[in-house]
Amino acid sequence: MNSNPSPSNSSRFEGCTLTGALSVLTEVRDAVCVIHGPSGCTHHNFSLLHATLLSNDRPGVPRLLSTRLTEKDIIFGGEEALEATIARALSLFPAPSSVFVLSTCIVETIGDDTAAVSAKAWGVPVIAVPTAGFLGGVFETGIKNALSSVASLARPAGERTLSANLVGEKNLEYGVDENAAEIGRLLARLGIGINLRFVRGIGTGDVGRLGSAAVNILREPALRPVGDDLKRRFNTPFVDSFPAGLSGTCRFLEDVGRICGIDASAAVEGERAFQREMLSRFTDIGGSRVCFRSPHPMLEGDPVAEAVSTECAAALDLAVEEDGTPIPLPYPAPVGTAGLRRMLNRWRVLVREKGRG
Amino acid sequence: MKQIALYGKGGIGKSTTAANLSAALAGEGLDVLQIGCDPKHDSTRMLMHGTWIPTVLDLIRERGDENITVDDVVYRGFRGVRCVEAGGPEPGIGCAGRGIIATFQLLERLDALKGDVIVYDVLGDVVCGGFAMPMREGYAQEIYLVTSGELMSIYAANNIAKAIARLSRRARSRCTLGGVICNAKNIEGERDLVDDFARRINSRLIAYIPRDRVVQVAELHRQTVVEYAPDSDQAAVYEELGRTIYANQTTSIPTPLEMDELESFALEFVQV
Repeated sequence: MNSNPSPSNSSRFEGCTLTGALSVLTEVRDAVCVIHGPSGCTHHNFSLLHATLLSNDRPGVPRLLSTRLTEKDIIFGGEEALEATIARALSLFPAPSSVFVLSTCIVETIGDDTAAVSAKAWGVPVIAVPTAGFLGGVFETGIKNALSSVASLARPAGERTLSANLVGEKNLEYGVDENAAEIGRLLARLGIGINLRFVRGIGTGDVGRLGSAAVNILREPALRPVGDDLKRRFNTPFVDSFPAGLSGTCRFLEDVGRICGIDASAAVEGERAFQREMLSRFTDIGGSRVCFRSPHPMLEGDPVAEAVSTECAAALDLAVEEDGTPIPLPYPAPVGTAGLRRMLNRWRVLVREKGRG
Repeated sequence: MKQIALYGKGGIGKSTTAANLSAALAGEGLDVLQIGCDPKHDSTRMLMHGTWIPTVLDLIRERGDENITVDDVVYRGFRGVRCVEAGGPEPGIGCAGRGIIATFQLLERLDALKGDVIVYDVLGDVVCGGFAMPMREGYAQEIYLVTSGELMSIYAANNIAKAIARLSRRARSRCTLGGVICNAKNIEGERDLVDDFARRINSRLIAYIPRDRVVQVAELHRQTVVEYAPDSDQAAVYEELGRTIYANQTTSIPTPLEMDELESFALEFVQV
């Protein structure tokens, strides 16, 4: 997920709009996703999502249904197949509380009107999400389209609570829940609770309270268009990224405090002390020589990850030199102080291995 | 086996020309197959005396393509001309171009593409790859452009010439332009205009079909002119067209006009 995918590493950052959208929509746990296209579009996404759930020890299967279009439907139009599949989705047990209808390349090519079919009186919300990849979108476009589509289920902005939404968590990466817990810990320093994880393991009804948070916390700056969209809908201000780095984490507390009208100085002071305590556990690698490397030849260095690593190296008095212990830059950048601790644990292992020669 | 395709603007009289051409060729003792490649599926209707034959795509939709035989899709009309209609989706939905491709694949599998002459009668504009299917390798080697002297019709013919030029550049392609047929609308100087257009795109006027009321009368009787008024001058024109096309050995790669050339060409002929 990257706002500016580079052709040199397209294999990592581009990808299918449909997959991006499904990574969000399958986290509405009582919804069914209808994928309007050939069965293969559903199959490979099912495999990916299911494998990710399993490898993160999350039981359950993604609730995907394909309209299973064949050449016959392409020639004569696939809208009837879509209607039948939405009806089938609604007849499943347990009955879905909402249905998302995702388009594919071929149905956009032949001009099937998924929005019109979805707009019929189905009894529960049936929401069309444009996800045809060939129109130029990438994985990230799918995430944005999906988040905006789910937001349409929310009630109009009502009474606000001193709480925050987490917006656009990267559901396919490792450590999603650890990162959310870290944000929860930091927000607790300001007396702010988490209103809604938008979208991670929630129900259709939960989306109703999307507009009642005091602040939206975006997973990363690439989601700014979603932040803007939510601001238009609910007038909720946003912080454009999860915190990264020692000073970045303190700055995050200040930003959230400012938006919520809370004096963050005590929270920042507390976090600085927490960070000093955390760093003190790594004094054993102090003074070592390290050298930062791109995490993989296919990946360009992430400037945020590099800045965070350099900052930590300075705090631990590590020497960054060409022939130092090679340390791959993290991808994505670690979240908060807890993320740094996990990163430094990995550094320690590498430095010790090198030391043993 | 000679495979030819008729292309031209919608409503220009392609189907009437194709059906009379097929009837005339059959009159020469030739085994003729006419394939209508248009969702309107009315190409062969006069050969079938007004009967709407089942279309290939309707049959595929109803039965699936595993359970279709040659007899389900090929119907014998006037003088034994074998008639096929591709058919297609209702207007405004689906993908008619893909329908043409599916039809050709089925006809190939059924081994239905045989005879002395195959006449492909194709929808007006080559709007997508599907409608260029009859021009591809293994199908029509000679394309005939049907046009009147109306400028919109000439524009359409020029566009189709572009498709021929494009496809003829492909390796192994055998698609060429056989000639231009003027289906007259009784416009002043029409024959000269179409003749000049044909030469400018590196082709020639291969036939001039005058406008004659007998065409409409024959259609009201659900017949081709060749059947309804076999002794008429018009029937003789179609018979001559059949002999000319069947004997034609001269084809060309067209050089379609650019838009500004077309406009200045139009200005030369239109009385302002």
